Amino acid sequence: MSNFGSVDFRKNSSKHASHLSHLISTVQVQRGVGRMILLLAVLFLVFAALNPRVFLNPFNLQNIGTGAPEIGLLSLAMMITMLTGGIDLSVVAIANASAITVSSLYTAVSVGAGVDAAESLTLVFIISGIAMGALLGAVNGVLISVVGITPILTTLGTMQLFNGLALVWTNGTTISGAPSGLSAVGSVALAGIPLLFLILILVAVFLAIMIDRTPIGRKIQLQGANPVAARYSGISSRSTLMTAYMTSGVLGGIAGLLFLARNPSASADYGSSYILLAIVIAVLGGTNPNGGFATVLGVVLATLTLQVMSSGFTALRLSAFEYAIAQGALLVLVMVFDQLRFRRWRPIPPPPSSETVLIATERKRKAERS
Amino acid sequence: MIDTLRRLRGNNNEGVLVAVILVLVILMSIASPAFLTAGTFFGLVRSSLVPLIFALGVLLVMISGGIDVSFPAIAIFAAYTTVSWSQDASFDPGLVGIFTLAVLIGALWGLLNGVVIARFRLPTLIVTLGTQGIIKGVLLTYVGSAYISASRLPESVSEVSNFYLLDVPGVGFLHGMLMPVVLVVAVIWWMLKYTMFGRSIFAIGGDVEAARRVGIKVVRTQVLLYILVGALAAFGGVVSVILGKNANPQSLIGMELDIIAAVVLGGASIFGGRGSVFGTVLGVLLVQLINNNLVLIGIPSTWQRAAVGILLIVGVSVQALSAMRLPKRAILFDDEGPKK
Repeated sequence: MSNFGSVDFRKNSSKHASHLSHLISTVQVQRGVGRMILLLAVLFLVFAALNPRVFLNPFNLQNIGTGAPEIGLLSLAMMITMLTGGIDLSVVAIANASAITVSSLYTAVSVGAGVDAAESLTLVFIISGIAMGALLGAVNGVLISVVGITPILTTLGTMQLFNGLALVWTNGTTISGAPSGLSAVGSVALAGIPLLFLILILVAVFLAIMIDRTPIGRKIQLQGANPVAARYSGISSRSTLMTAYMTSGVLGGIAGLLFLARNPSASADYGSSYILLAIVIAVLGGTNPNGGFATVLGVVLATLTLQVMSSGFTALRLSAFEYAIAQGALLVLVMVFDQLRFRRWRPIPPPPSSETVLIATERKRKAERS
Repeated sequence: MIDTLRRLRGNNNEGVLVAVILVLVILMSIASPAFLTAGTFFGLVRSSLVPLIFALGVLLVMISGGIDVSFPAIAIFAAYTTVSWSQDASFDPGLVGIFTLAVLIGALWGLLNGVVIARFRLPTLIVTLGTQGIIKGVLLTYVGSAYISASRLPESVSEVSNFYLLDVPGVGFLHGMLMPVVLVVAVIWWMLKYTMFGRSIFAIGGDVEAARRVGIKVVRTQVLLYILVGALAAFGGVVSVILGKNANPQSLIGMELDIIAAVVLGGASIFGGRGSVFGTVLGVLLVQLINNNLVLIGIPSTWQRAAVGILLIVGVSVQALSAMRLPKRAILFDDEGPKK
């Protein structure tokens, strides 16, 4: 929540600083991905060495592959909103809303018109689940970009609202029933790789292309790196933020489908611990919580790292609570380590060079405070 | 006239909150004669006590410009550890002893938060997310994971569990824990308003750099702040054990975002520098009023969460829209030229 964006003013002000901050951002790119590859490899080898019989069992490896995708998608959703300098606390509520939509539509049709009719409409249900995600994402988008509420407050409120409406809808119970096609997706593996995992990879590739290779992706990055500079370059923050939060909603919607694929039941309370976990994974994957920097690969690797760690802890007969300690310690240590390294690189900020920059900095600061 | 209105509205929209609470109370008493009784009031007070203490901690952190999500973990860690130690040692340190021990444990965890946040200047949300996992894990792995029921709580705790300030037969009772909680609220209010430390928290939340330049020791103030917040959380944890008459190491965790929502409703700014104890008390009361009594105006209880969500969104929307309409202040250095 600090004024990290001001780093970019330095780019304009001196050539030397520009060179240096470019170097820093390159280091950051490699940092998010590189450290996760290293960590993933080390953890994998350690667990494989300590208990190869359980950990390297194909069944266990498949479990890692089926467990990772849902939290991976939620973390990617968190990442794209963090990339704009925001956050989406409502993404788990959105995923549950999508799962509840699909499950209750399926149940309603199969009660009304028979199971066969319901099965034949599977694709329609899937699309409506994703559409629900997009719709709820759009609600966030409107509140953030049009009404102008800070993302963390907006999504804190909509998290309560979406979750509350889901409770009203389901009456607080767990509803069951999902198209058999979806359940099949949850249990099928192609060449030993779970289909769920392939879905995560597919979505991640799409997202990576969107962020790195399309104009809207560039706009999202610039919006997060420096909202003022983005505005002066003629980028509409309204449509950029709208796209980011709708994308987050769609990713949440797909995650909801994966909930159903693994277990054909839905409730408003499912995965409430996921929201904080998604933030942890996004940050471990190298996402700057202040915006402007993130990589899809880093987040996917962080998801796998935590999943490997979780199943490795199980293989070593350590409890879920010991895993919680390791997860927390990892997060804090990685952040501290980054900060120490970043500090050595950080150039001393030169004074703003022109009146315009000075006014713009002031405005940005005021806009952020209000 | 406008000045009077503005004064009624308060610095952080406390007046608006009072109005909303009054409207709700009036609606509820019209809808149900069962509402306007001492029993409802006692229930409201009882259910607000623990959230209120946690909300004060959240408020302090928020005024300083941070967000803390580790307080429920600290609270249950401190309370459960104290109770379970005294059970293992078959020694009852007395109520004061239990509170002191818990508060010390909470302060130690707060010290960890404070040192990591202030020393390394890391985002508070991320750090407290990490420490939340560590604290919860250490509690359940190394201290214990067994539920401690009422009969096995230390005698001093179970005694005070049944201490009521007012006990109206057939109506309800006013719990004795109200007194220490009111005292803590008053102390925090006084501290924020009249002490150097309190003003420093506001200054740091307003602008860290400005605070540093007027000579506030930012790192020291932040570390002290997180120690205090850890101690407050521990106090709340013990109160929740006393009110609930049991110690469950899995309880409390998960309520952090709800408490933050209540504090935001109370008018505190998530960017720091703004917020009041009075507003926070009102925010907590409003949420509890909805949670306890929405059924009375004919809305099913499943709507509680959605209602709080709507209220929160409407509240922050109004703030955001009115901030947009404020006349933009002229930039002072415009005609002086840039300062080098």
